[in-house]
Amino acid sequence: MKKRLLALFLAGAMTLALAACGSETAPSGGAATPAPQTQAPSGGGEDNSVAKTVKVGLICIGDENDQGYTYNFIRGKEAATEALAAKGIHVDWVVKYNIGEDSSCEDANLELAEEGCDLIINNSFGFEEFMLKVAPEYPEIEFISCTNQASWGDSLENTHNAFANIYEGRYLAGVAAGMKLQEMIDSGEITPEQAVIGYVGAFSFAEVISGFTAYFLGARSVCPSVTMKVQFVGSWSDATEEGNAASALCDAGCVMISQHSDNTSPATTAQSKGAFHTGYNNDMTGVAPEASIIGTRIDWSVYFEYAIEAVANGESFDQDWCHGMDMGAVVMTPLNEAIAAPGTAEKLAEVEGQLGSGALEVFDTSTFTIGGAALTQAFALDTDGDFTPDSEEAVFDGAFHESHFQSAPYFALQIDGIEWLNSAF
Amino acid sequence: MHEQKTPFIRLAKRDAMPGGQVWCIRALSFVAALLLGAAIFLVLGRNPFAAYATIVSGALGKPTAIRQTVRVAIPLLGTALAIAPCFKMRFWNIGAEGQITAGAVAASYFALFWCDALPGPLLILVMAAAGAAAGGLWALIPAFFKARWGTNETLFTLMMNYIIIGVVKWLQGGPWEGRPGSQIIPQFDQKAVLPKVLGVHCGWIIVLALTVFMFVYMRYTKHGYEISVIGESENTARYAGMNVGRVIMRTMFLSGAISGIVGFMVASGANNTLYDGVAAGVGFTAITVAWLAQLNPFAMVGISGLLAVLEKGADTLHTRMSVPASISDIITGIFLFCMLGCEFFINYKLIFRGRHEEVSKA
Repeated sequence: MKKRLLALFLAGAMTLALAACGSETAPSGGAATPAPQTQAPSGGGEDNSVAKTVKVGLICIGDENDQGYTYNFIRGKEAATEALAAKGIHVDWVVKYNIGEDSSCEDANLELAEEGCDLIINNSFGFEEFMLKVAPEYPEIEFISCTNQASWGDSLENTHNAFANIYEGRYLAGVAAGMKLQEMIDSGEITPEQAVIGYVGAFSFAEVISGFTAYFLGARSVCPSVTMKVQFVGSWSDATEEGNAASALCDAGCVMISQHSDNTSPATTAQSKGAFHTGYNNDMTGVAPEASIIGTRIDWSVYFEYAIEAVANGESFDQDWCHGMDMGAVVMTPLNEAIAAPGTAEKLAEVEGQLGSGALEVFDTSTFTIGGAALTQAFALDTDGDFTPDSEEAVFDGAFHESHFQSAPYFALQIDGIEWLNSAF
Repeated sequence: MHEQKTPFIRLAKRDAMPGGQVWCIRALSFVAALLLGAAIFLVLGRNPFAAYATIVSGALGKPTAIRQTVRVAIPLLGTALAIAPCFKMRFWNIGAEGQITAGAVAASYFALFWCDALPGPLLILVMAAAGAAAGGLWALIPAFFKARWGTNETLFTLMMNYIIIGVVKWLQGGPWEGRPGSQIIPQFDQKAVLPKVLGVHCGWIIVLALTVFMFVYMRYTKHGYEISVIGESENTARYAGMNVGRVIMRTMFLSGAISGIVGFMVASGANNTLYDGVAAGVGFTAITVAWLAQLNPFAMVGISGLLAVLEKGADTLHTRMSVPASISDIITGIFLFCMLGCEFFINYKLIFRGRHEEVSKA
């Protein structure tokens, strides 16, 4: 019996040993550490009398460590918080990171709704279906699905979509890339035929296709002999595969790399292979100072500020919001003057002005052909759910009007001059 | 001389311990887990009492929360029930993950392509049957190889997981893809969605029925008896005239079929679509549930409920107290570690070098 008791004691002791210090400090520590104060609402209570408080839930597919997609949202969140504070609106954020595009997203929406959020923002395309299962149950809460497209037709009053005219930023990045290529041709470094761009794409998804087409048209507007090869990776974020794709493109003769994927590995690969690069989502000149010329990103703070302010004032806001450089929703990252072609900054300012005034259309149908013929007809929206656009003519006034009928991009055509190396994704 | 060669700590198998003491150890380990968890919260600068209160209220505080918790528990319980007979037979089926996925694929096929051809209730039944058949067949492959050529079932069932998950990835990006390039299979038609009872898809009724079935099957049927004899000793089973290979294949088919039904429930009831993470690690967590419950189906109800409370509660913790989401996994891990660890002390005793004399006298 004595031994059994000993064993019993040992069983407890083994597991308790680690906990011992914790259990000793538990009562005193629990009282001494001002832990409950980390719950933001109590802190925000002081200025409640003067300021309006909005509780906003944000559901993210990743976290800020990706230095790309979700990081860009977090930057937008912080900037919007500051801007709104200046207007006397206090934002109480509840952020859920690393949520999957599955029923855990439904749970996250439910959870935030139950916690009393006034506005819930979903940051990834695949979240919308799950958000739509929760939204009808909470008509007093506004739901936003960024980059998605159901709100114009889902017959719900409290769902919203938002995107930015990122193709404008892509076009400008293309202009910067094209000028660099033309400079290399003029200096005899490469022949006109060797001006080949390599593009690392995530999937053959409309958003990606629209982006690289705009980029290519921007480059060709200043470097007429340029061509482009696109390599799809099959993932939005896979640093190794993105690097491999960039490496393969460089080996295939590409001297300029750009990307629609989340990591910086295409930039670093381009630098190690002696090619140049333009980035997305984030300024990549820090990781590849000898290669990365410029980047473009969506500034989500513009939309966040707009939507949250509307909620704070009890006003309704657009169910399908899309703006670009006109409102600063699309911004260029700083130009890497050390390697950019001379005159790039001036040219970018000029093109930006033309885009803003409407003098220049990115998808001007006189600047590209499809199978040798000019584009005369293309539908924008899919209304019967078969994922093939069937209504709303996007081609008019001599251009394909991107993000005109809905915020999410719908340009998914393969134009001449761009070669898809793989289209399995 | 002899004294020096004795290791500092030795292990010895323990005689059966009285029930009261066993439960005392288990209770102690639960307390230890609570304290270890509290230490983690203190390190994070959170009040442990508030944290535990948040976990409980987050999981059980409101009807919506309870419904979510139940939805987490359903696949855990179902899969634990599925692997129980295999483990009883000492056939280490760690392929439940793949069997769930296989069931979900088959059910999704009918949900996506037979929706217009079949009336609602029949469509659901066909989906369930297809899920069961696919899960069962996926499990039958390693069982056949084991019965025929004595291959290692642990490796085989594990490898089968990756194959079927690869198949789903291909379907997502290829033939079943919705919007081009999205890698997302469209949501099922409402006809192919499991109806809700009391706010949760009716999978909870199915798994409770399966619990009773599994209890009766393992304890009171000839099949159940054969399984336990093979688990104790294959040679005894063979001597008694049992066809061991057949029993292995039959049991694995049953196990896979139940996992396949779980896959059908998750795809149809919870996600309303198919994607590569449909099993979401449940196939592995369920092993812990089955083991903790010592393969008793009724105990599994409690254990899977406890894990679901921890998971859902930790999620609320993440929302309300803004602790990192990975804390959820850490807390769950601590509880599992302590609860599984205490079984070790129930079955074995430690003998220290100094105690040598006393032990030999005893």
